[in-house]
Amino acid sequence: MAVAEELRPGAHTPLTRRVARSPGARLAGRRLLAAIPVLWGVTLLTYVVMNLLPGDAAQELLGANATPAEVHQLEIQLHLNEPFWVRYGQWLGGLFHGDLGTSLASGQNVTAILGQRLPVTGELLVYAFVASIALAVGLAVLAARRPNGLADRVSMVVSMIGLSVAPYVLALILIYIFAVRLQLFPAIGYTSLTENPGANLRSLTLPAAAIAFPLFSVYTRLLRADIVEQMQREDYIVTARAKGVRPWRVLLRHALPNSLFGLITLVGLNLGTLVGAVAIIEPIFSLPGVGAILIQSINNHDVPVVEGIVVVFAVVVVLANLLADLLYAVLDPRIRYERSAA
Amino acid sequence: MTEALLDIEDLKVTFTGRGKSEVHAVDGVSYRVYAGQTLAIVGESGSGKTVSCRAVLGLLPAGAVVTGSARFQGTQLIGLTDDQLREHRGADIAMVFQDPARSLNPTMRVGAQIAEAVRAHRQASRKEAKEQAVDLLRLVHMPLPERRCTEYPHQLSGGMRQRVMIAIALACRPKLLIADEATTALDVTTQAQIMDLLLELQAELGMALMLISHDLGLAGAYADEVVVMYAGRIVEQAPAARLFGQVRMPYTQALVEAIPRLERPAHAPLPVIGGQPPDGARPVGCSFAPRCRRAADDCRAAAPPLAEHQPGHRWACWHPVNGGAA
Amino acid sequence: MSAPLPELLAPVQPQGTVQARPRGRGQALNLRIWLPAGFLIVLAAACFAWPLVYPVPKPTGGSILNSGLPPLSPGHIFGTDPVGNDIFSRILHGGQVSFEVGLGVTAIGLLIGGLLGMAAGYWGGILDAIIMRVLDVLIAFPALVLAVAIAEGLGPSEVHVIWALSFFSVPIFGRLARSATLALREQTFMLAARLSGTRGWRVIGRHIIPNVAPQLMTFSLLGIGVTMILEGALSFLGLGIPLPEPSWGSMIAQGQQTISASPDLVLIPSAFLFAAVVSLNVLGDALRERWGVR
Repeated sequence: MAVAEELRPGAHTPLTRRVARSPGARLAGRRLLAAIPVLWGVTLLTYVVMNLLPGDAAQELLGANATPAEVHQLEIQLHLNEPFWVRYGQWLGGLFHGDLGTSLASGQNVTAILGQRLPVTGELLVYAFVASIALAVGLAVLAARRPNGLADRVSMVVSMIGLSVAPYVLALILIYIFAVRLQLFPAIGYTSLTENPGANLRSLTLPAAAIAFPLFSVYTRLLRADIVEQMQREDYIVTARAKGVRPWRVLLRHALPNSLFGLITLVGLNLGTLVGAVAIIEPIFSLPGVGAILIQSINNHDVPVVEGIVVVFAVVVVLANLLADLLYAVLDPRIRYERSAA
Repeated sequence: MTEALLDIEDLKVTFTGRGKSEVHAVDGVSYRVYAGQTLAIVGESGSGKTVSCRAVLGLLPAGAVVTGSARFQGTQLIGLTDDQLREHRGADIAMVFQDPARSLNPTMRVGAQIAEAVRAHRQASRKEAKEQAVDLLRLVHMPLPERRCTEYPHQLSGGMRQRVMIAIALACRPKLLIADEATTALDVTTQAQIMDLLLELQAELGMALMLISHDLGLAGAYADEVVVMYAGRIVEQAPAARLFGQVRMPYTQALVEAIPRLERPAHAPLPVIGGQPPDGARPVGCSFAPRCRRAADDCRAAAPPLAEHQPGHRWACWHPVNGGAA
Repeated sequence: MSAPLPELLAPVQPQGTVQARPRGRGQALNLRIWLPAGFLIVLAAACFAWPLVYPVPKPTGGSILNSGLPPLSPGHIFGTDPVGNDIFSRILHGGQVSFEVGLGVTAIGLLIGGLLGMAAGYWGGILDAIIMRVLDVLIAFPALVLAVAIAEGLGPSEVHVIWALSFFSVPIFGRLARSATLALREQTFMLAARLSGTRGWRVIGRHIIPNVAPQLMTFSLLGIGVTMILEGALSFLGLGIPLPEPSWGSMIAQGQQTISASPDLVLIPSAFLFAAVVSLNVLGDALRERWGVR
């Protein structure tokens, strides 16, 4: 295709410059800028909510038997007697320097705490997402191949179960079946990746399954519906069939890429809800991730820790939605070229 | 008489709606297409013209029941499995569809879509298929074919997209090309260009051409033989010149009158055929009777059969125009 | 024309194309509506009416002497928990909680969120912008943090749980009502209604609500199920219904301790929760099909 290369505009500028000027980079830049006020809003709201709660960290730390004098002493020590805006301002200032403050409960550096625990949660979530999406695509494709066929009906039943079961229930049932009875996976505990990859995956499989199953169910239903709609309503599918293309190729090469948009949107939306899922699942399996300490920290009024976790998740959500947008452009050239014109 | 390329005999297509009564989209249609011939099938929306052609290739949606016979070079196509039909699709019989904006995959490069048609029936490497795609675009007079191959459908104009569709259809040198309202979505100038292209290709490649349209004027200008359909049945068929010169069926006559003409006075009301086409239920009597100027009681009592009242000219009417005189 | 050979006239299904839906479809759909609906009615009736009609041991204050009885023991059809409470009774009372919270949260979401969303969608403009910004912020906020904070700050109780969870049902219903209203607004009959001078609320009442209702109704059913699970989650974390009052969620949490020895302490409340949510989901799905909602 040497001829075409030469004719394409910008074919002679260096690659780096082309990337920086590309519509994708400009889009990413715009989105990141727009996300900053949202992130700020979320941190502010978290601070406000945490401070509206009756009681404070000093009270929690010392327990019910402490005298008011002791509580007051601790409050001064922890800077809790300073006005709300001052504390928030200090925290925000620290944030710009990469310092997330110190845990009120344990005295540890929040960044250090997150550094220890985030990889665990991160790996768990990646595992869950990859599994749920891969299985969903697989099952949806099989189901859409023959609507109302066997694979389709099975997928409907399985996904209905997944939608109706509570994650914590699923976690306990998985523990009972696979850990207690079959002894295939550990019920609790965590081995890090560097120590022993095999044990690491085994320790994360059950919790990832508990998170992934409901996700997988929603994704399968949506994707299957979208694929069937493409196959039955779109003209280019008729063209493909009229060309003599094999049915599997029509499904995978034509219908599937055009059906992914709903799924991508949904995955982006789902990410925000994962904070909750993680907070429930991790304690059940005694995983040392951020979810495990989230509830506790809220109870302890440990504001810096809570804020730290919230900030990290908010950033992840923003980045994920940005990624989703970029994926749209990759999949649909109309979006790609429209943006470059803008 | 030479053997027909495509021989349709008593083709019927019924759709079973959800608990509703059946829709008889095609109600006993028979015609033949010969090699090198241009046959036009004309009718309103809902006449069954598109459905009958798609039925031949097995491209109908779910819930369609097809009966009858459709022989292509002697091979019976009705009742074949999808795998068996696939061997014919694109290779022997190819189709060009109405709306190229929607009939091309928006997320796939144009060259790849043409190459896919090539590789569907021929052993060709990716490189070879790509080269053939470029050749095909040249065949349909697409300027800068190599560049076009790397572009996406939305980057092309309507006329260019339709050329791509034609290139796809021609990929395996089919013997019969069915153009299903191929020019309806285009502006008039482009229409003429595409029609000329189709005829030129037909002559060059020796194909038979089927034009499906609601535009009788188009049929008259480009076809050898014209079939007029109404409510799932053929109501008149004749060579083009004969049809226009000696119209018999009142419906055809109304269609002929409805063709916009320059000679008409500037603000005269356009002649229309009042009423609506039937919705697929099988009425007693002639389907056109409710809208026909010449309808009489016997028309409503029994449906007139399609018969060759004159050599080469069939019609189905109890009271044809000019009383059926030659 | 020669007559076609007889065998060609036999009806032939074109192979490879999708088969038409089997004729039992309508009946299957009816089954999927009435079976779960019936089950839910029976379950709700049992939870609320049975303790009133039949004498059932109290759900709390059991004696240690009775602890840990297995299911099908005399007088305790589901057995007792480690503290001695009758599990069957706790299931019934826990079910009351689940239904109350589920219906309460969904009703609040439907009424407040639905009205706000319809207003925002119909009138548009600044009203729309304000309502939507507020709802967006609520949706964007890390849900669990808010729910836990509210529940923990206000103290565990059923009413507080309903308030906490309503923070999520209102924006979600609001968004749904708004988008449904916007879709309706574009249709011609809406324009006709506005041109005929019908006043705002009347239009909403007469035209929008009847058309939006099916979508909101089916969504509500699914929403009740989700709420039951969320209430279970809060109770599971110890932040919902205060012990020793029973809730399916807290029963599951309690059962976690002894899961190897007596799994039915987890399985029984889990089964009830699952059955209720599955019925709601199947019913919501089937009604969606029946009413042709997207």
